[in-house]
Amino acid sequence: MIYVENLRKEFKKTVKEPGIKGSIKSFFKPQKEIIEVVKDISFEAEEGEILGFIGPNGAGKSTVIKMLTGILTPTSGSCIINGQNPQKNRKQYVKEIGVVFGQRTQLWWDLPLTETYTVLKEIYEVEDSAFKKRMDFLNEVLELEDFIKSPIRTLSLGQRMRADIAASLLHSPKVLFLDEPTIGLDVVVKDNIRRAITKINAEENTTVVLTTHDLEDIELLSKRIVMIDKGSKVFDGKISDLKSKYGQMRELAFVSDNQNVFDILDYQSKFKISDDDLIAEKDGLSHKVRFNSDAVPVGDMLAYTLSKIDVKDINVKDADIEEIIRRLYKEGVSDE
Amino acid sequence: MFKELLRAVKMHRIFIIQELKRMMEYKGDFLTGVIGFLISQVFNILFLSIIFSQIPTLIGWTFEEVLFIYGFSLIPKAIDHMFFDNLWAMGHFLVRKGEFDKYLTRPINPMFHVMAEKFQVDAFGELLVGILLIASALPNLTVEWSFIKVLLVIVAMLFASFIYTGIKIGTSAIAFWTKRSGNITYMFYMVNDFVKYPVDIYNNVVRSVLTYIIPFAFTSYFPALYFLTGENPLFNIGMTALVSVIVMTIGILIWNRGVKVYESAGS
Repeated sequence: MIYVENLRKEFKKTVKEPGIKGSIKSFFKPQKEIIEVVKDISFEAEEGEILGFIGPNGAGKSTVIKMLTGILTPTSGSCIINGQNPQKNRKQYVKEIGVVFGQRTQLWWDLPLTETYTVLKEIYEVEDSAFKKRMDFLNEVLELEDFIKSPIRTLSLGQRMRADIAASLLHSPKVLFLDEPTIGLDVVVKDNIRRAITKINAEENTTVVLTTHDLEDIELLSKRIVMIDKGSKVFDGKISDLKSKYGQMRELAFVSDNQNVFDILDYQSKFKISDDDLIAEKDGLSHKVRFNSDAVPVGDMLAYTLSKIDVKDINVKDADIEEIIRRLYKEGVSDE
Repeated sequence: MFKELLRAVKMHRIFIIQELKRMMEYKGDFLTGVIGFLISQVFNILFLSIIFSQIPTLIGWTFEEVLFIYGFSLIPKAIDHMFFDNLWAMGHFLVRKGEFDKYLTRPINPMFHVMAEKFQVDAFGELLVGILLIASALPNLTVEWSFIKVLLVIVAMLFASFIYTGIKIGTSAIAFWTKRSGNITYMFYMVNDFVKYPVDIYNNVVRSVLTYIIPFAFTSYFPALYFLTGENPLFNIGMTALVSVIVMTIGILIWNRGVKVYESAGS
């Protein structure tokens, strides 16, 4: 369904020295610098797949999505989606995709939500009967009923996001691009949106490309992720692979009445371990230690902790995906 | 081709209705706008009558002829203003803030989408004043009337309005490179004040600029000249059409190249 090959995007940027002097200088003699935002990224996705597209801020996620949706022209490389080249047959192509940018809205700001849908119906040339059926379906899945007659400007962020997602699905697209669809939303709305995505994916076999910073989104929705950092792909595969590959992080949690537990324990000097491999947090009586089990075996960690202090309720568990990715973002991923 | 045109007309109608509904959402603002606008138009007409009461003729042009050209100049401008005003938004914020993204993800021509999305009610005033000025000038003009002549002048007005639209397309598309181009469009529009008066009152340089470089003279002076004198329809009307097509083509070419270098904005 989606074939991306060596996709690359460079921006030319004018470099300015700071201050008004720099601005004037740059006005007359601009210093151009080429910035590689996306460096030869390749990946594929099958029909009906939900692909999680993740990476830290500024990694180039949005730029990739914008190239895939035909908004930006790639500097080089190609993408074929749904059998079409987004840049070449733009009009034909966008008829069969849906796009949501969580940070922006495509709804008519001043008008009741229904008005937006009526115009979009015309723009996408949806038949009357199909439109009615579709609205009923979207109403049900995204629970639009309560606010469908209100002007967009009066909607809450959660309502607006649901409305925006519905707008992108009105014409039953084959591919849906969601750029941070859960940004800034509360748990209930997030849950609603996730269920909607799952349902649409299951019922219509819609291919979904999803970028997010909320790793719960990824864990609940997609089996596969592509991770990029500084414009390059750093991981492409199943989430379970990511866990087994980078998942040596463990979390030790215990409750203790002792004062200054971490001063007593002083893991760093005991195990000669770096700050990256061990992070200790304290919240009242409960303590959490995230550590790399390659650097300190779990058994040693447990035995040492128990020998030094009195604890209640101790446990060790696998670090969640969030922890893995936190580490990856921080260190970058080395090529093997 | 015909089917596409029909669809464009239909979409444009829908956008206009949408825009009218939008205005009705803010009734207070709308009413204030209408009142403010009427006041400004009354002052405009007063101002004009003061000027013209001081200048009975202008190098061979009678008061009525000048009035006619002045009125004529307002109509194509009003047509463009009414239907395609939203192009200003390109140079001001659509490109700079990345809001142009939205238009690129929809299956209609983005240029048309931007152009047609707003409907400017203010332009009715200009149109009205234009028609009033022409109507008040006509009884005192000795013009030979013919069906063909009236038809040609109306056609010329439509082409003339596309000169405005074309210039707006081209200058607003510069924003694809510079991120902002509102001031460039504004600069072109300022030149436009010259053509409210007969162009031959200016010196050669100004006249050549208005004819060949920023060809606003074809939005009023030349077609109006044909109507007043019946002379040289080939140049006065034919060139208006040709210039309109050329300006529009250049505008669209700039736009199409610009879309390719569109950079969006971070999000």
